[in-house]
This record gives sequence, C-alpha cells and structure tokens, in this order.
Amino acid sequence: MGLSNVVGDLSLEMEVDAFRRLFPLRFYERHLSESIRPDGRTLKSARDTSVALGAVASADGSALTKIGSTTMLAAAKMEVMTPSADAPDEGSIDCCFVAVEYYMPSICSPLVRPGRPAEIAPVISKQLYDTILSSGMIDLKELSLISGKAAWMVYLDIYCLDADGALFDAALLSAVAAFSHLRFPVVSLNDEGRLVMVPEEGNGDKSGKEVVNKEKRKLSLSSPPFSLTCALHKNYILADPTSEEEAVMETFVTVVLNSSGHLVSLYKPGGPVLTQTSVIQDCIALTRQRMKEVQEILDESISGMEID
Amino acid sequence: MEIDRIDGRSPNQLRPLACSRGILNRAHGSASWSQGFPRDTKVLAAVYGPKAGTKKNENPERACIEVIWKPKTGQSGKQEKEYEMILKRTLQSICILTINPNTTTSIIIQVVQDDGSLLPCAINAACAALVDAGIPLKHLAVSICCCLASSGYVILDPTKQEEEGMKAFAYLVFPNSIKLILPEGSSHAQGERMEDGIVTSVTHGAMSVEDYFHCLDRGRAATAKLSDFLRRNLQPQVLADGSKAG
Amino acid sequence: MAGKASATPATYSPSPATRKGKPTIYKDGDRDWVRPDGRGFQQCRPAFFRTGAVNAASGSAYAEIGNTQVIVSVFGPRESKKAMMYSDVGRLNCNVSCTTFSTPIRGQDFDQGSDHKEYSSMLHKALEGAIILESFPKTTVDVFALVLESGGSDLPVIISCASLALADAGIMMYDLVASVSMSSLGSDLVIDPISEEESYQDGSLIISCMPSRYEVTQLTITGEWSTNKINEAMQVCLDACGKLGKIMRSCLKEATSATSE
Repeated sequence: MGLSNVVGDLSLEMEVDAFRRLFPLRFYERHLSESIRPDGRTLKSARDTSVALGAVASADGSALTKIGSTTMLAAAKMEVMTPSADAPDEGSIDCCFVAVEYYMPSICSPLVRPGRPAEIAPVISKQLYDTILSSGMIDLKELSLISGKAAWMVYLDIYCLDADGALFDAALLSAVAAFSHLRFPVVSLNDEGRLVMVPEEGNGDKSGKEVVNKEKRKLSLSSPPFSLTCALHKNYILADPTSEEEAVMETFVTVVLNSSGHLVSLYKPGGPVLTQTSVIQDCIALTRQRMKEVQEILDESISGMEID
Repeated sequence: MEIDRIDGRSPNQLRPLACSRGILNRAHGSASWSQGFPRDTKVLAAVYGPKAGTKKNENPERACIEVIWKPKTGQSGKQEKEYEMILKRTLQSICILTINPNTTTSIIIQVVQDDGSLLPCAINAACAALVDAGIPLKHLAVSICCCLASSGYVILDPTKQEEEGMKAFAYLVFPNSIKLILPEGSSHAQGERMEDGIVTSVTHGAMSVEDYFHCLDRGRAATAKLSDFLRRNLQPQVLADGSKAG
Repeated sequence: MAGKASATPATYSPSPATRKGKPTIYKDGDRDWVRPDGRGFQQCRPAFFRTGAVNAASGSAYAEIGNTQVIVSVFGPRESKKAMMYSDVGRLNCNVSCTTFSTPIRGQDFDQGSDHKEYSSMLHKALEGAIILESFPKTTVDVFALVLESGGSDLPVIISCASLALADAGIMMYDLVASVSMSSLGSDLVIDPISEEESYQDGSLIISCMPSRYEVTQLTITGEWSTNKINEAMQVCLDACGKLGKIMRSCLKEATSATSE
C-alpha cells in the first residue's frame, strides 16, 4: 500500500465502514436484496472449513477445526473408572462414560472477560452433550474394559479460540473430529487392581502383564452428527452466520442431522421471525447438503492421518 | 398402534390445566401454572420490572429480559442454564422490546413440582405472568411437549413416567391463535398464516424428519385448546381492569 | 475405590503418574549429562511466532517453543470498568489461563479455577514497563493469554508472545519484550528448560528485557543462587533475549509485508 493513493481510498472506505457500524441492519438488508453477503458469500453457502487432527500432543484424541475464522480446539482424554452396578456395560444417565465441557476463554471474543464467563458456554456444553449422546455416534459398550469392573471415561474439552459465529457448529465438528482421532491407550492390570498404561515399545511382555484392550483401540463412530446454523431475517435464510450477522439478526435455527439421515436436534430458541414449515424444510435441506461437504473434509483429514 | 396411557388419556389429550394469576404480592406480576391432577407439574413465575437497566444488560435501544430459573431443590446447573436461555430467547420474541428501552425485566421461574413437560409448563407460566405484569406483548405464546415412542407413536403432554423410555421429545412453542380484530387478510402476510409459525423448537433424541413434522402438526392442533384456556383465564381480569379504568 | 458410589464417578488416569523408580535426569558432579531433548546447556528450543491468530481480537499472537504453545489476545484500548477511577494514563489488565489438557494429567492445575493468578500478575509487571501507557488515557488494554500446552518455560513464552500481540494490536511500546528463563540444576545452568527439567530444578531465573534498549523490565529469581551464578545466568539470558527479539521482530516484519502486498 503506497501512501499517496491511500488517502483517497481511505475516505471512501471509511464511509462504508462507518455506515456498516452505524446502520448494521440497513447495511445488511442492502446486501441481502442483492443476494450477496458482505464477505462475498452467497446467502446459502457456508464458510471455508478445515479440520486438523492431532493438534494436542498430550491428549488421546484431538482436533483443531476452523469454520471461517471461528476456531475450536477439542481434546479428548481417557481415564479409567468403575462403572455403576446397575449398568455395568454402558453407564447410566447420571454417570455416563462421556463428559463434555465447552469453554470460552477470554481470548476468544471481546465480549468475554475473565471473571464474567460467557452465558452461552454452559448452554453449548449441554447441547453438545445431548447431541453427542442422542446421535448414537458412540456405542457406550465400546468403552467397557473389564465388564462391571473398569471402563473408559472420556473427557472431551472443547476450547473456543476465536469466536466468529456458528459456535455450536464448529464445536460439534471439532468434537466429532476429536472422537474420530481418538485412540485408546494400551493398558494392563497391575498388582493393585488398577489399570496402567503399557509403554508402546515394551508390548507389555517385560512385566509379564496381559494387555486388557488388544483389539479395542478406537471408537467405531457409527453415525456422527453434523450441524448447520441458519440465521433467518424476513424471508432470507443465511447459512453459517458470522458473529456480525448474529448480532444483527435475531432468529436462528440449528439443525443437527446424523449421517444416517435422522434429525438429532432442531433448535430454534425464540426469535421474532416465526418459522413456517417450509422454512424448516429448507433449513433441513441445507443441512443435508452441508453434511456432505463437512463429511468429505473430515474423511480427507482422517485418511491423511492414516497415511502418516 | 394404540398405546394405552397410564392415566387413561387419549394420545392427544392434555392433562387438566390450572392457572392463577397475581398470587405473589411483591412481584409486579405473577402466575402459577399447573398441568395435571392430582399429580401435576407446577411452576411459579414472577415478573419484576420494567426496572432501570443494570450495567450488565444496558442497551439504549431495547428492553432487556432476564430469566432466572430456580430448580425445586439444589443448585442450578447446566440444565437450568439451558432452560434460562431458551426461555429468555422465547420471551424476547413475544415482548415488544422497543417500548421500554434501557430497562430490564426479570422473570423468576420457581419449579414447584416436576411431573413431565417441565419446560413447556414454565413457558406457559411465564407468559401468563407477563400478562399479569402488564408487559406489552406482540402476541401470546403457548407451549407443548410432544413425545415420540420408538414405534413412531406420538403422545402429547407426557408425564414424567411417560417421558422415561421415550425415543425423542420435541418442546414446541407456538403463537397463540389470533382472534381477528384486524381487517380480513391483513395478517396473512405472504399468504402464510401466523398460526403456522413456530416460535421455539427444542428437540432431544434422534428421530426421522417426517416424525418431527408429524410432531409439529400434532402439537399445533393441540394448541387451540391451550390458547383457549389461556385466553379465558386472562379475560375476566382484563375486563375488570377495563371497567375500573372506564 | 469401589466404596465410593457418588454421582460423579471417581476416575484416574492410566498414565504412570509417579516417577518413583526413575532416576533424576542429571547427576551432581557428572558434567556430561545430556538434556532430555539432547540440547546443549545454553541452547534454546526453536521458537515459532505468528501474529493475527485470533480475528476477534484487536491484536493477537501464537507462540510455539518446543512443546509449549500459547495464544495471546489483546483487546482495546477500550472503556475501563465503570468502578475504575479516572486515570491520566492507560491501564493494563492481564489474565493468564490454562486449558485442561495443558498438563499431562487432565485438570492438574485446575484446583483454583483455570485462571493462573501468579502468572497474571507477573505478566502484568513484565509488560507494564514497556508500554507507553500515556498514549491511551482513561482506557484499558486487556491482555489475555491461554496456555494450550505447557511444555516448560511457560511464563517467558507468555511474556514474549504477549508483547508481540500488543505490537500486532498497534499499542505503543518502547520496544518488544523478550523473555527467557534459566534453571539451576545442581552445579549446572540450563537455559529455556522443559517441564521435566523444571520439576528437578533447585532454582530458576526469569529475565524479561527490551532487547534494543538493553533494559530489563522484570527479573525473577527463586531458589539459592551465588552472585557468580547470577551474573553468568543473566549474561547468557540477555544474549538469548537479544536473539529471541530478532526472531520476534522478523515475525512482525513478515506480517506487515504480507498485508501490504
């Protein structure tokens, strides 16, 4: 950028920028009437999405996902627990084998400050947990190590590193990616009745202990869920809104489908636009389309990992 | 195909409803809403406001709605936070927020008894309490829980016992059916009736897309009854207020 | 274990938590021990910096030095908290938190919440001297750091990364702040220690300085040090800070040349 030609451009640029800040609604409506969004997308297209597996070395499964500039880092760690007596193989409601926590540290958005946690964080935690369980993605029986005695407990922690809209979608994608990257550590029973990790190179022969989970090294993930959030404004449907769009618009529909085509969740918390049945059908159709896209991206990164 | 419900109701039949308003003295508006008899789901809602906006929720252009959910026992956790968020967003969409800018209206929900369909019951209670407090609303809203059994059978307004072992739920909020005071056709924007709209939808459990729309239809059909009840319940006091004013 | 039938199940990590049987990584008197990652005693880990990691922030930076990974976001200058009194100079507000997976065992440092109070105040002191606070009166600059993975020498990495994030946000500073630490292990001094080395250290020295002005903004020494040792350690650290400063500077230059193209 040369200094001389900047001045002219700047005044023009400033005006648009000022208009955008002062009259965000009008700014958007002007764009919507031309069927384009300020970032150059069409109304129904999502932002560029990427998945990088194994981002956290200390975790048993991890993934870094990006949707536009919304960034999520998910890491799953395995611990051993004693299952409850009444459901020795799959855990019960109050002590399940999976725990999901979603964090919004203050680095992710100017709206979150230390000591004043984001209101939305526990809500997204709960939604993620419900979605992951009811999608049937994880067969809880696979987490059993020694029936009735020991089972894996998966702690999934998701950190939002950059919040730019569609937080739930990005968090769910990172959760699914982290689960597909998850490998169980090889463990054996020690003398005190506790399970300990077997060093990879030792194969457990040195100590003479039998490896408990020789075959079960990963989750089979039968029907992973994928989601798409759409913002509704008047008669427009905008897929994958940015945080700026989320601030301007007030009605959102989040559709979660699993890969076998079932509706896992249809979440529309209020909003001034009353959704007609046809709009819901449109949103579901958009999610179907998006699911294919995302699944391809995920498969690509998984196959990339297996070559290494 | 028929499922016998434990309390002998037909699949579409709601439990008996009861609502009383103005039950709390200190609150600006209050209501208790219960579904079922003698075992019921009962929720108490109190509205405080509009009061001067607190620093946290200050907004010079619109009113702020704040929802506090008090569980029957214990501390509020993630589940309660989720309920608060759903209620807040739902109530925000039916209130006319531009009338009292820079104010906060607090709605406190106290669960008295939970026997299934808790969230819809709370939404109905909050709606009645808002009317009791005289908060300007765009329209009323009625909420219902639809339950989907694994056989694909839908029942409405389930009890706690029925909720267990169900495949999926949908908590739905619909706008109250409007009695037209406007000239014919003016509310038919773009040929779609307002009654066909959905204010809030929250689902749990996996179901097919067709099943969801089935739930939607069944829920919508039942709302007429709920709306009637809500309207009847609100009417006498409105009339009394009117005569006082006149 | 079995007796505890509470709602939250008691779990444990299968990784061998205690290093009881393992010998210490160095032997006193043996001058030829090798560091766990094979570095020389006065050799730093390779450093990688990148600015603009978080779009939502006014400025941000990501640092990866060995296994230590840190993200720092800077917000502001923005309105101070309402409770704050009027002030002629700007305020600096720092906060450091850690992820649950930053340590090998989940949530090890999580007892008192994820905020790291000690690091937060140290970061504040290290940066305060370098920022021209007069340039943004009445307002606050927030510096928030998140430790993604803790691999040793966390605080120095946070400090260096934070100064880069401040520069990315366009906050006026006298100079970048580069920070390096040193551990004393028996009679030896090792620079830029990893977690394992830190767990055996007898003392540590952290120095934060502005390399081009050759001024120290913070010096922290813990443990027992002889004057000679301190002098030696400081000289080595200051040299390392100079080198680190160059890497940080080149990172900033790259970022600006990339945007102007």
